Amino acid sequence: MKLLDITLQIYRYKQGEQPHYDTFTVQVEDTAHVIDAIDKVWAEHDHTLTFRRACHHSSCGSCALRINGVEKLPCITRFSEVGDGNIPLRIEPLRNFPIVSDLVVDVSGFFQRMSASDMSITRYAESTLPLSVDNLDEIVQPRAVVLPDNLTHFNRFENCIECGICMSACPTMAVDNKFMGPAGLAAIYCALQKTDDADEKAHLLALVDGEHGIWRCHSAFECTEACPQAVDPAGKIMALRREVTANRFKKVGRS
Amino acid sequence: MSTPHVIVIGAGSTGSATAHDLALRGLRVTVIERGEVASGTTGRNHCLLHSGGRYCITDQESAIECIEENMTIRKIMPDLLELNDGLFVAITEEDLTFKERFLEACAACHIPARDVPVKHALEMEPFLNPKTLAAIQIPDGVFEPFRFCLAFLATARLHGAVVRRYELVTEIISSGKSVTGVKVRDYRTGKIETLGADLVINAAGPWAEDVAAMAGVRVPVQPTPGVMVTLDCRLNNMVLNRLNKPSDGDIVVPQRATCTIGTTSWKVKDPDLITIPPEHIEKMIVQGEQLMPIVRKIPMRARMAVARPLIVKDASDERNVSRTFECFDHAYDGVDGFVTISGGKTTTSRAMAERVTDIVCDKLGIEAECRTREVPLASYRLFYQGGQQ
Repeated sequence: MKLLDITLQIYRYKQGEQPHYDTFTVQVEDTAHVIDAIDKVWAEHDHTLTFRRACHHSSCGSCALRINGVEKLPCITRFSEVGDGNIPLRIEPLRNFPIVSDLVVDVSGFFQRMSASDMSITRYAESTLPLSVDNLDEIVQPRAVVLPDNLTHFNRFENCIECGICMSACPTMAVDNKFMGPAGLAAIYCALQKTDDADEKAHLLALVDGEHGIWRCHSAFECTEACPQAVDPAGKIMALRREVTANRFKKVGRS
Repeated sequence: MSTPHVIVIGAGSTGSATAHDLALRGLRVTVIERGEVASGTTGRNHCLLHSGGRYCITDQESAIECIEENMTIRKIMPDLLELNDGLFVAITEEDLTFKERFLEACAACHIPARDVPVKHALEMEPFLNPKTLAAIQIPDGVFEPFRFCLAFLATARLHGAVVRRYELVTEIISSGKSVTGVKVRDYRTGKIETLGADLVINAAGPWAEDVAAMAGVRVPVQPTPGVMVTLDCRLNNMVLNRLNKPSDGDIVVPQRATCTIGTTSWKVKDPDLITIPPEHIEKMIVQGEQLMPIVRKIPMRARMAVARPLIVKDASDERNVSRTFECFDHAYDGVDGFVTISGGKTTTSRAMAERVTDIVCDKLGIEAECRTREVPLASYRLFYQGGQQ
């Protein structure tokens, strides 16, 4: 284990004051994650630093911010991924969210978008383990799983952890603050997959078919690139476009 | 007399569940949290909805509490759980000697347990150690601590509770021998404000001793961190536990596309300053390999540590303290209007809330039945909507 001296330039803002950057240097192990350095700044230097965090293992989604301009979950970001250790890391809040204080943003608009479909955060699990993960393909092949006698399915939380990274990375969001956003649209896509009810399906497709819905997306795929959970919101927006279009043809055929 | 106002310090699982219970019984409630919801002990927990199996041999009281609360949590937040059950597996002959005792202890604690043929267990969990000698299925589950708290707080808000985040309690104000309120510092603005209260509840977890000190009383809480290691791949659907006495690294809790090995135990003075000992991380991998030999080949996604608020009963071994919770009415220490609730686990936080709310209602002369066993919680997403940020 090696110790690293990490310098952070952290965005600071308190209500009624001018935003600025404060610079702090802390010592962390080379195996630590960026959240550990931010935590140390708070614990050792400045308890007035406000930031969001809970789980420290990419499950809650609360700690999302920008490191050197790129949206990241600091709880799973190692220092080697974001710099060479010599240049200070710039730590800033997410874009496209109102800033509350320092690194804390107001996520109410985001959660309103996530509520539009009322998508449950659990779903049926795949019937294989492990899940296909890019860096594991060569080591291990997925294996079929058999259910215990008393369960009809295994269940699993949805991959989306509602971190807001996609909304921050989205160029459409920057020009249309009413845009339903990548995560909100992806959630509607997931809700659509979970229902067989024709009325519910029609309702969900109507939701995304407005001027701030799927057609507003510029297909920049920044959301898919930035998502730490491989949700692929842009792919789901494209799939929604296909479904909405197919549905229109069906309606034309019937009339 | 107007409706009494109760201040809850801390928005971890205990504070959140307590706010919900108080609000449901018609009290005016203000929760004060210095950071984000669940930013302390609760957030960084193992996400295990305990069946009680882990404690049934060593601590029957905890085990019974766990299975009762496990069933209640399933009722009040059904959409916030991964419910795939768990297995207790024997890998060595020594583990196997626990099998009969474990089955008997489960029966005694009313924990449903099924002896699963090893061949079937290996089909259910293909990465389980092929040397497995026995597997017992119990109703473990997985929750998300952050959303667990948000759901309690969102529901509390619907019943009038106010949740103030990024505010630090800097002083507990007394008049004579009674606590009458708190002074808070808002980290968003730097402003100091005084809030009056008929009663203050200290639900600050491992920080409970610091909060109690502001009121001039002591609570015997020992901050006891544990290390957890999250792998970048989900290897198991069910929670995998080692069939033996509770020990370091004897459980792998899956969640979403990951799984987390835990945990260890050591003592610290200041829960704000925890340095993860590198050898604890290696220990998790070594122990995790016992349950699933593939563990070492999987890249690490995260590792974390946070202090548990264990109540000290026997100073010789931090593992031998009861895992069950304690409620201190500090009127017995000469300070009225101030109650500490500490110890316990996220799984049992609703029961802890019920106990402390019973005491608080009693002290304030309020007659109201606890309804948190039956009332389904509102969507956690509502927490961030319509309230102050």
